[in-house]
This record gives sequence, structure tokens and C-alpha cells, in this order.
Amino acid sequence: MKRTTRSNFAFCKRLTGSVLLFALPWCASPGWAQAGKLLVPTTVGAGQTFSIPVVGSGQAGSGQATFYLLGPDHVVKRHVSPGSEVQIQSSDVRSAGLYQVILCDSKSSCTSATFEVKAAPPAHLSFFLHPSRVPVSTRDSIDATAFVFDQYFNLVWAPAVVDFRITPASGTGFSRRGTTRNGVAWMRMDSTPHEGSVRVTAVLGNVEEARVIQQVAAEACALRMKTVASGNRVTLETDPVRDCSGNTLPDGTIVSFTKIDKLGKSTVDTPIKKGIARVQFSVHGRAQISVACGVVLGNEVAVAVNGGL
Amino acid sequence: MKSLVAVSLALKKVKPGLFKPRFVKAASFVIAACVLAIAQSSAPIHLPQVHLDADGLNPRPIEQLTGTTVAHHYALAWRDLAAALESGRTEGLGEEFVGFAHDRLMRRIGEQEQAGVHVRIVDHGHNLKAVFYSSDGTAMQLLDQAQLEIQTFDGNKLLDTQNAPHQYIVLMTPGADRWYIRDLEEVSAKSF
Repeated sequence: MKRTTRSNFAFCKRLTGSVLLFALPWCASPGWAQAGKLLVPTTVGAGQTFSIPVVGSGQAGSGQATFYLLGPDHVVKRHVSPGSEVQIQSSDVRSAGLYQVILCDSKSSCTSATFEVKAAPPAHLSFFLHPSRVPVSTRDSIDATAFVFDQYFNLVWAPAVVDFRITPASGTGFSRRGTTRNGVAWMRMDSTPHEGSVRVTAVLGNVEEARVIQQVAAEACALRMKTVASGNRVTLETDPVRDCSGNTLPDGTIVSFTKIDKLGKSTVDTPIKKGIARVQFSVHGRAQISVACGVVLGNEVAVAVNGGL
Repeated sequence: MKSLVAVSLALKKVKPGLFKPRFVKAASFVIAACVLAIAQSSAPIHLPQVHLDADGLNPRPIEQLTGTTVAHHYALAWRDLAAALESGRTEGLGEEFVGFAHDRLMRRIGEQEQAGVHVRIVDHGHNLKAVFYSSDGTAMQLLDQAQLEIQTFDGNKLLDTQNAPHQYIVLMTPGADRWYIRDLEEVSAKSF
């Protein structure tokens, strides 16, 4: 039997207090889904209490009926009397998703309907910042991704603006905005010119989540070395090794010195210590020595231990 | 007993390594992957059909192997989910589900058992659309348009049959050797 708009109105009139307040939007017919003897809201907010009337007419009016609610993480089975209302508690509808309601009368005739539980307002941000270390002044090198969840950890579908606030260790902070799509907001940015930690905070309303990445010096820039000869030994020492933004490359970065003389080619890899790489070679006759750090080549020097530099 | 399981994958892939939009060429292609699965028991394994469309995926394009793996494990997940909802046995769910998705399914199946209810899913296939793949490769979001026939029973009594398309939003994350479903939420067609 079909419910009429008039009987919808009669049901709405019976609601009181907070239930009425919550149910008011449904009382207009677009907010209700009606299937046979079942009248359910089309959408409900996660964790909200409401009631479903058990219509006492026709076959359902005789004897007890069985009410089933099947949700993503919850199943309810209750025996109900026609003409009563099934109270759906907050704990019954915490998970967002489609819920199925089935009402079977005493003669095993069943009617079903579905309603959707939508996520509550944003309450949690799951925030990822990638990578954890990044060279300075590198284009599109930092990615930030924020997933927006409600208090029950349902993904919040409704578009929301996430503010990504970037605070470098030196220099002024700035922010980028991203609007969530299907509950996800992301942005990509260049790393800033100065090494040190960079704090990125994702902010949505009063929800904040912060992550820190470390910006490190980029590749060496204008790599140069000088030589000091002593007998048949030559000491090679770089100038302080910096990137193109003036950041000192970290100690431990490998610098390679390559010598070619009459005995052949030999390479020595040495780590930077206190910003400088130093190495000593034995040289026989004339030699060509070059220096490199990563993909960057430095200057080349010619050395002759018996003939001078 | 060995059984042959076919998982067909339609993967529209963006060429790798090209992040700047002006360099991105969206090349669509279809892969039909046949996957041999070795059944541990004598019962044959039937995987649902999964088509994956990854056209225009942001911020990172999907690699072919990743697409194949995602589609395969999504199919496995639905097979295990259907089996668990029907039998009430949850042992296999940890193979394909983690996090919220796993916790919710475990609760659902536990409460189903208490209520004496079970669900039978006849799976007619899934059209997956990848909509987000994080640049570090740790999360992929997909939308699934599934053709399912869902029968709900109380004991042996059939309560209800639903035969309409179902829409799901899915969050998958990679593990050591597979992609897991971390979140699986059914949404109405209107919201999709």
C-alpha cells in the first residue's frame, strides 16, 4: 500500500523534539524514500538519531514484524509492532555508506528500502608530505596530500578547502589552497632556496595536521680546488663546497679527485669535512687532476712535481 | 586443482615520468591479462571481472604493472568479501583488506552471524575508475561501478534481492606484495 503525502504529514506531526528537527527536511517528499510499507530518509548524517515508522496497515498490521538494518559495519534485527517506530540510534549509523532496511511482516512478506549515511563534518586530516628530504630550489619537488575524515573516520566527500601553510626555517612563510575532490586535497610545490627544516601544516577549519621535511643543499655549484705541492706529493683542497643558492653541502658528501699521470688513472673519493674536501696524491712527472661532486665537474689542474705547476 | 582465472584489465595509462601537463600524453590502451591462480583447495576459484580505467590520473600516472596488480587484488578482495558475507568466515579478509575497511567488515560479519543473517553476492563485474594516485605511490583512490546481485537471507529464508548497479568509493594502499583495500564505501548513484 502506498503512503500518501497526507500520511507523511501525519507522521511528521507525530515527531517531537530533536527527532522532529532532524526529520523536518525529510518531510518534504524528495527527502523520503518510500518502498511499500517502509518510509526511510534518503540521506542521514553519520551518527544522527532518527526513527523509521512501521506502518500498521494491510498484512503488516497483523502480528509482529521483523525489522532488519544492514549497514557497512552493523546489523540490527528487531521484532517490532506495526504502528510503532523503530528508533535508529547514533551508534547504528556511524559508518558512511548505503544502508538496507528490510521489514518482514508475520506472513513473511518483506519490503526493503535503502538510505545513505553521509559523513559528518570534517574532524580528522590524514596528511602525507613527500619526500622527507628534498634538495633546495627544486621544481615541483614537494607533494602534500590530505585525506579528510569525519569523527567516525568516514571519508568526507563534500568539497572542502584545505589550507597548506608552509613555514621555512628561514624566510617568510606562505600558503597554498587545495579543494578536496572525493575527500582528497593535494598540492605540489617547489622547494625553497634555503636549507633547513620546512614545516607544512594542513588546516581545515579548526583541524590541523603538521609535517616537517628537511631541505638539503642541492648539487654543488662552481666547484673549485687548489693545489699545494710538496716533494712528489700534491695536496688538493676544494673551496667550501656550496650549491647555487649558497648552501653548504653537508659533511659526508663525496667528492672525487681523478689523477692521470704516466702511471695511469687513479681516483680518490673523499667525503666533505667541515665544508671542504681534501686529498693527497703522489705524482710522478706531469699529471692532470680533476675534481667532481655528483654530476658536477669542477676545475682541472696540471701538476708537474719536478717541473713546477 | 589448478584453475584458470581470467582478469581482464582495461588500463588507460599515462606515460611514466612525465609530470608536466604539457608533456603528458594520455595514451589509452587495453590490456587483457590472464592470471593463473593456483587453487589451494579442490574448489575452483572464480574471480569477478574487473576493468580498470586510469585515464588522466593525477598527480601521478599509473604504471602498467601497478594497474594489473590493483585490478587483480581488487578482484580477489571482492571474491573474499562475497565468501565472507555468505559464510560468516572472516579468515581470508586480512589478505586483501586493512585498516577501516577490514575493521568494518569484521564487525559487519560478526553482527550478521549474531543476527542469523547472511548475504549472497552474485558478482557480474566491476568498472573501476582510478581518480587519484598519490605522487609517492602510497595511496590510490578509485570509483567502482559494480554489477551485483545481492541476496539477503535470514537463515534459509530469502528476505530481499537487489539487482541494481552499486557504486563504491575505494581507497587502496600498497603492501609488500599486493594492494590492499583500506576503505570501501558504498554511495548512492546520485552521489557518484
